[in-house]
Amino acid sequence: MARRYETVYIFDSALEEPAVAEKLERFHALLTRDGKGSVSNVAHWGKRTLSYSIKKRDSGYYVVAQFEAAADLLPEYERAVKLDEGVLRFLVVASEGLPAKPEPAAPVIATEDEELEEDEA
Amino acid sequence: MRRPAKTCPVCESGVRVLDYKDDRTLGRFLTERGKILPSRLSGMCARHQRQLATAIKRARQLALIPYIKGYTG
Repeated sequence: MARRYETVYIFDSALEEPAVAEKLERFHALLTRDGKGSVSNVAHWGKRTLSYSIKKRDSGYYVVAQFEAAADLLPEYERAVKLDEGVLRFLVVASEGLPAKPEPAAPVIATEDEELEEDEA
Repeated sequence: MRRPAKTCPVCESGVRVLDYKDDRTLGRFLTERGKILPSRLSGMCARHQRQLATAIKRARQLALIPYIKGYTG
């Protein structure tokens, strides 16, 4: 049974765009094999500073992709991504119930600043 | 004197699901050291507090928000 997933890749920022695109194509080919899945919505966030260094890198190239695939395709796909040296880190989550758009227009949530004092820091 | 019940800031904004990729919104629910703000301070409802915890932990893995703010290792 196909399920909806969302994956975030953090590529090494030293990689050029074509190299990133080539890797993405290779990963996604694993998911779309035998017509058992489809990839939609590949969003390139571009280079971003990491909040903490990963593998001695301070910045990474973020890509968010959503796909639908049979669950039995995932282990092989995850193995391939994990073994790739150009990927600093990745996260695959089941995206049922998550917003369909990869990058939402940051809904602004008002805070009550006067009430948010921290009493145990 | 009892304080009036706080209302959930996420419900009020009309958002149903908190997104782990939205680091700006998640940042509002962190202490100055990067800990998850307890719902007794933010007034968050239980459902959204649970979502928030998951979202913050995912965002930390992706280096969108730090595990500890102000820590340079």
